[in-house]
Amino acid sequence: MTPPILEIRGVHKRYGVGGGLLARRRTLTAVAGVSLRVARGEVLGLVGESGCGKSTLARMILGLEAPSEGEVLLDGRPIASLGRLERARLVQPVFQDPYSSLNPRRSVAAIVGLPLAVHGIGTAAERRDATAEMLALVGLAPRHAEAFPSQLSGGQRQRVAIARALVLRPSLVVCDEPTSALDVSVQSQILNLLVDLRDRLGLAYLFISHNLAVVQMLADRVTAMYLGRVVEEGAADRVLGAPRHPYTAALLASVLTPDPALGLPEMRLGTAFPNPLAVPPGCAFHPRCPAVFDRCPREAPALLPVPGGGRAACHLVEGPAGAARAA
Amino acid sequence: MSPGEEGGEVLLDARDLRVDIPTPGGTLHAVRGVTLAARRGETLCVVGESGCGKSLTSLALMGLLPAGARRTAARLTLAGEDLLTAPPRRLRALRGDRVAMIFQDPMTCLNPSLTIGDQLAETYVRHGHGSRHAARDRAVALLERVGIAGAANRLGQYPHQLSGGLRQRVVIAMALMCGPDLVLADEPTTALDATIQLGILQLLAELQREMRMALVLVTHDLGVVARIATRVAVMYAGEVVEEGPSAAVFGAPRHPYTRGLMDCIPRAARMAPGARLGTIPGLVPSLVGSISGCAFRTRCPHAMPVCAEPVAMHGDEAGHAWRCVLDAGALERAA
Repeated sequence: MTPPILEIRGVHKRYGVGGGLLARRRTLTAVAGVSLRVARGEVLGLVGESGCGKSTLARMILGLEAPSEGEVLLDGRPIASLGRLERARLVQPVFQDPYSSLNPRRSVAAIVGLPLAVHGIGTAAERRDATAEMLALVGLAPRHAEAFPSQLSGGQRQRVAIARALVLRPSLVVCDEPTSALDVSVQSQILNLLVDLRDRLGLAYLFISHNLAVVQMLADRVTAMYLGRVVEEGAADRVLGAPRHPYTAALLASVLTPDPALGLPEMRLGTAFPNPLAVPPGCAFHPRCPAVFDRCPREAPALLPVPGGGRAACHLVEGPAGAARAA
Repeated sequence: MSPGEEGGEVLLDARDLRVDIPTPGGTLHAVRGVTLAARRGETLCVVGESGCGKSLTSLALMGLLPAGARRTAARLTLAGEDLLTAPPRRLRALRGDRVAMIFQDPMTCLNPSLTIGDQLAETYVRHGHGSRHAARDRAVALLERVGIAGAANRLGQYPHQLSGGLRQRVVIAMALMCGPDLVLADEPTTALDATIQLGILQLLAELQREMRMALVLVTHDLGVVARIATRVAVMYAGEVVEEGPSAAVFGAPRHPYTRGLMDCIPRAARMAPGARLGTIPGLVPSLVGSISGCAFRTRCPHAMPVCAEPVAMHGDEAGHAWRCVLDAGALERAA
């Protein structure tokens, strides 16, 4: 059996913050014991809001930061044991903001061809051909090769960022909010492109977003995070069709489709905003949860299997009676 | 949205509003003849993509355009008072008192070196509504109303001590201190997480009803607009291309741009394998120099030679209007 392209086992990431003349240094736990896997050719949607640790997780998968605890395996091998070239051929990023992720002083061809040049792959002519092929693949015209990022629109820049990510033919692409900075008409073009490329190249994506409607379009499986912990995971159809965790349900309800008959959904989440520096005891979601009861602040729920497949970390779904109550 | 609220007095009346910005390459016609009316008890949403002129329109309404930008209008009144001829002193008296603004980023519109209490009180005292003591009482009441627990203790806090969602609630409370007739909110929830955005939108909708204000909400998010608007104005390339009651604009859009935008939005239902989202090919035209005819025609699937001629607003009796020559039948057959 081939190993999954990405496997994360019990990963923690802690940062020390503050610590001035008088202030005590505090620990921010951005990721607290996350395990997940992405099979080859699979799209895992990672959803959650600010401070849930999804971008920290992405940085560890890209090898930009080391976990404080736990393991990140790429293609079955620990990421720390891989050289830069090996790692770069397995996983590549596409970031949110194509305005800051592209060097403004280099042409599009130089930006897309840079990974090949850095890794010394092929001759100059071969690299030029590979770059041209990649630009065509992401829907850019040959004339764009000599353009600079400032001459391109936001959507075209994101295409350049995608071409650069794919030029080394990685197996996994980490897309961190790849369409959040784009207008809706441009977002749809980029999402369509990501679907096409997945189908044509057999790519696996770790697709990170706060927008469940966007994730729904692409993901085979979905993992929802809250304050550094996985609260729910499972097949996309199940998680988004019948969410078991109140937080996933709230995220789903907060997707506003342009349907005037629906009005604003009532969520009763209150105003206790999540703060990764002060994670509540027990279930981290309990101060905002509409279904909170006495057990929630005392005891952290375990991630347990739920009816319909997948797992959720909520006291309401523990045991057969709980599952009925949460449904 | 109930029938009783229809036909409230027109608080804001802007006709043929234009904003021109001189640039080295020629004049940028950023806003090209926008006509809008906001009634008491209504939420008017101005929606469009980057560069459509929606934010400049809202700044022009308030007379807050950046230096160099030139505003003209056939008419611009607030509760019957002419804003085009009002002296700067009178405009300053109106802004913050009769009209309040809420911006996207609460961190840039709160002063980081003043306490929440001082900032809330400032507007109230400045506009002569009462003493600092009275201002404090009103600040506490409003902070509680916008869902901030322990309001009295929050008055001594600084903006950096609050989360983004709480800061935006403080900004909303500040906007309401003087009991404005009109609140203009420019992307008030864009910087916030989805679940927190929903709380803020609910609050704005409740306050708008409770205080019988006119709310003008400027946003790029059609989902937000559909759920909160009484009336909608869709902007493209500096013009309003479609305008009308929310149900009509979303239920039966008549402008190809509005239709195109709706098709671009991923829906909550899972898409069939192989399905793709709709797209709008091409780019927004440059608004520098002279523009003629329909600005959308270069990207429009229905473009005809007549589209190069100036296009007037067409409308029906229900107050739904669109800047397009296509009749409904042609649009349906093409869909």
